[in-house]
Amino acid sequence: MRTMPRPSRSTLAGVLVALWAGLGMADTAAAEPPIRVGVLAYRGGDHANAAWEPTVRYLAERFPDRGAEMVPLDLPGMDAAVRDRTLDFVLTNTGNYVELEARYGVTRVATLHSSRAGASGASIGSTIIVRAERTDIRDLADIKGRTVLAGDPDAFGGFQIAWGEMLKAGVDPYRDLKELRFSGFPVDRVAFAVRDGTADAGVLRACLLEELAAEGRLDPARFRVLAPKTMPGFDCAVSTDLYPDWPLARLASTPEDLAKAVVVALFEMPADHPAAKAAGYEGWTVPLDYQSVHALFRSLRIGPYRHLREVSLVELAREHWEWLAVGVLALLWWAIHSLRVEHLIKVRTAELRTANRDLVHEMAERRRAQEDARERQKEMDHVARLSILGEMASNLAHELNQPLGAIANYARGCTRRLEAGTGNPDQLLEVTRAIAEQADRAGQIIARIRNFVRKRPSQLEPIDVNDAIRAAVALCEGQARNGNVPIVLSLAGDLPPVPADRVQIEQVVLNLVKNALDAMAETVPGAAEDAGRKVTVSSARDGEGRVEVAVADHGHGLSEEARSRLFDPYFTTKAGGMGLGLSICRSIVETHGGHLRATDNPGGGVVMRFVLPVANGALPSGEEQQHHG
Amino acid sequence: MADAHRTVYIVDDDPAMRHSLAWLIGALGVPVETFASGEAFLGVIRPDRPGCLVTDVRMPGMSGLELQDTLARCGSLLSVIVISGHADVPMAARAFRAGAVDVIEKPFNDQVLLDRVHEALEKSTRAAAVQARKAHIQARLARLTPRERQVAELVVAGKPNKVIAAEINLSPKTVEVHRHNVMEKLEVGSVADLTRLLIETD
Repeated sequence: MRTMPRPSRSTLAGVLVALWAGLGMADTAAAEPPIRVGVLAYRGGDHANAAWEPTVRYLAERFPDRGAEMVPLDLPGMDAAVRDRTLDFVLTNTGNYVELEARYGVTRVATLHSSRAGASGASIGSTIIVRAERTDIRDLADIKGRTVLAGDPDAFGGFQIAWGEMLKAGVDPYRDLKELRFSGFPVDRVAFAVRDGTADAGVLRACLLEELAAEGRLDPARFRVLAPKTMPGFDCAVSTDLYPDWPLARLASTPEDLAKAVVVALFEMPADHPAAKAAGYEGWTVPLDYQSVHALFRSLRIGPYRHLREVSLVELAREHWEWLAVGVLALLWWAIHSLRVEHLIKVRTAELRTANRDLVHEMAERRRAQEDARERQKEMDHVARLSILGEMASNLAHELNQPLGAIANYARGCTRRLEAGTGNPDQLLEVTRAIAEQADRAGQIIARIRNFVRKRPSQLEPIDVNDAIRAAVALCEGQARNGNVPIVLSLAGDLPPVPADRVQIEQVVLNLVKNALDAMAETVPGAAEDAGRKVTVSSARDGEGRVEVAVADHGHGLSEEARSRLFDPYFTTKAGGMGLGLSICRSIVETHGGHLRATDNPGGGVVMRFVLPVANGALPSGEEQQHHG
Repeated sequence: MADAHRTVYIVDDDPAMRHSLAWLIGALGVPVETFASGEAFLGVIRPDRPGCLVTDVRMPGMSGLELQDTLARCGSLLSVIVISGHADVPMAARAFRAGAVDVIEKPFNDQVLLDRVHEALEKSTRAAAVQARKAHIQARLARLTPRERQVAELVVAGKPNKVIAAEINLSPKTVEVHRHNVMEKLEVGSVADLTRLLIETD
C-alpha cells in the first residue's frame, strides 16, 4: 500500500515543525487534520469503541482546533498503520508496544494507571486457572500433558506472560502439553471452557476473572488460580509477575510539541473523568520502564526477539559452547587426522609403489642374473667339456684311428686280392661287412664326441646312470688302452632312473675317470700282472636309496693341500690342466641335488664318489642285466 | 716246411685291427695266425720256429716291446715288426735294439707294411737256414771222441802228425788213425774243408 517513497525522518520532522509553527502563529488560520489515535481493539471494535472512545473524545475536547479521531485496529492493522505513519499516537497493549517500539521506533509518552495497579504501577499479569476441584493439578509443573486454553498467542496478559512463567516452571507450552489451544476473542471463552471441562487449564489476563465475576457472568468460586502470587497493592489473583499497563506512544513522525501537549492533557485528566471510568483506569502517569517486557520477550523469543528463534543455532551454540568447542575440536582433530591419514596413505602408497617398482626391477634383475649365471654355467660346462676333450684329443685320435686303420687294411686287402684274382667271394663278403662295422664304430666315436661337446641347454629327464657311465668310459677307452690301465665297470643292475642331464653326468664321470687314468699314468708302470693297476667305476644304491657312483684309482693319492683345495676352481696338480674339472663336476652334481666327495682308497689311491637323488616315486627297474666288468 | 717258415703272426688287442691286418697280409699268400695278446702268443709259439711277428705296442697286459724282449731272450727266430699308434724315439730305439725289422707308425702305407713283412720273412728264413746248418755241424762234431776232437783242433792249427804225436804223447801211427776217423766222421775230404767247418761252429 505504499504509494510514495518514504521521506527521510529529518525532512519530515522539519516539515511538520514548520507546519506546527505555522499553526501556532496563525491559530485560526488552518483546518488541521484531527489527531489520529490508533487503539488496539483486542476484544473487537465495539469493545474498543466503548472503552476508549471517551478518552479520545477527551483529547478532542482539549484540542478543539484539530479534534481527535480514534482508529480501532487489530494487531496486523496496527502494524500496518504505524508502518505507514497514518497515525499520530497509538494506544496499545504492552506486548504490542514493545514490538512497535523495536520495529518502528514508537516512544511511550504515558502509561495508563490502572485502578487496580499495584505499588509499582504495573498492573498486567496472567492468571492461570483450573477448575476448583482439580486436585491433580497443584502447581504449574502439573499442567504437563494437559490441555491448556489461552486467548490468543499474541495476547500479552492473556498468554505471553503465562508462557514465560510456565517456562520458568519447566513447562514449554508448545512442547510439553497434551494440547495448547487458543480461543480467540473474546477471551471470556477461556474461562467458560475451563468451567465446562473442555480444557484442563486456562490462561486469562489478570483481573479478567474478577471483571467477569463482577459482571456476574461466572462464579469465581468454581476456579482455582495456579501458583498464585501476592503483589502489594494489587487486588486481582495473579500467577505471574506484573508488567506495565498499556502505554500511549507517539510515532517517530509525531511532532514533539504535539506529543508534549497531548501528554500534558492526559496527565491533567482527573481520576473520576468519565473517560477514565469507561476504560477502567484512574488516569495517566509517567511512562513506566518496559525493560521487564523486553526481558520476557527475549526469553520467549517473540516480538522484537523473534529472530532469536530463527537463529536458535547461534543461541544453542552460545548455550552449549563447551560441547560445540569439543565438537569443533573433535571435528578439527578428525579433519587433521583425516588429512594426516590421507597424507600418510599417499606417502605410503608412493613408498609402496616405489618399493613395488624396485621389487619388480629387482626381480627382473635377479631373473636376468640367474639367466646370466645359467648361461655362464652353460658356457663353463661347455668350455670344461671342450677342455677335457682337448686333453684327451690324442687318445681320441688313437681311438678313432683303430677303426679307420682297420677299414684301410680291409680295403687294401680286398684290392690286392681282386687284382691278383684270388678273391674268394665269401671272404670278400665277410670283409666288406667288417668294413661297414668299423665305419659304424668310427661314426659312433664321432657322435659321442659331438654329443659331449655340443653346446646345449641342460635338460632334466629320467636317465639310467649306467648309460652315462658307459658313454663316458667309451670316450676314455683309448687313453685306458694307451696307458695300459684297464677300466673295470661294476654296475648295479637295479638302479632307478635319476632325473638328470645325461651329458652333464657323462661329463662328471668322464672327468673322474680321466683324472683316475691320469693319476695312474703318473705311477711307475709295474708288471703287467699288477692286479691293482686298474680304474674301477661302480654304481650302486646307497643306504638312502640314492644312486651312488664311485670311481676308484690306485694312483698316487691326494696330498693334504690337494685334498683341501680339490674343488677350488683353477686348482690343478697337472701340468696341462685348467683346474676346472672337479669344480665344475661338483657344481653339476650339486645342481642335481647331490654331492661329490673324495675319499682314500684303502688299497692306495683315491675314490671319488657322487650321489644323485632318485626321482620321487621311481621304482627300481631291476630288469636290465649288466654285462660289463 | 717252407710254408711254416713263412708264417706271419699278428698280436693286437683290437679285434678289428687284428682281423684286418690278417686280411691284408694274407693277400701275400702266406699263412697268418692272430693272437689277442702277447701272453696268448707265447703260450703257442715255439722259439725255433721262424716267421714274422707283427705286434702292436700298446696292449693291456704285456706290451709289444715286452713281447719282443721275451722272444729275443729265448732265441726266437721270428723277425719282428712293431706297429705303433704314436711311436716316439726312445720306443723305436728300444725296438730296434731288440732286433726289430722295422717300427711302423699308424696309419701306414700297406705296401710298406707288406714289403717289411716280406723282408722279415726272408730274414727269418735265412736265419733259420744258418741255424739249421749250425745244428747239422754240431751234430757231426758230436760224433767225435774227445781224443779225436783234440787231434782235429791240432790239425786245424796246422801242426804235422809227428808234432801232434809228441804233444799228446801218442805214437804217430795212432795220430794218423784219429785224423782219418775225424775226416770220416765230419765228412770232409781235405784239411781246408775241416778248417772251414770248425770256424763255422765258433
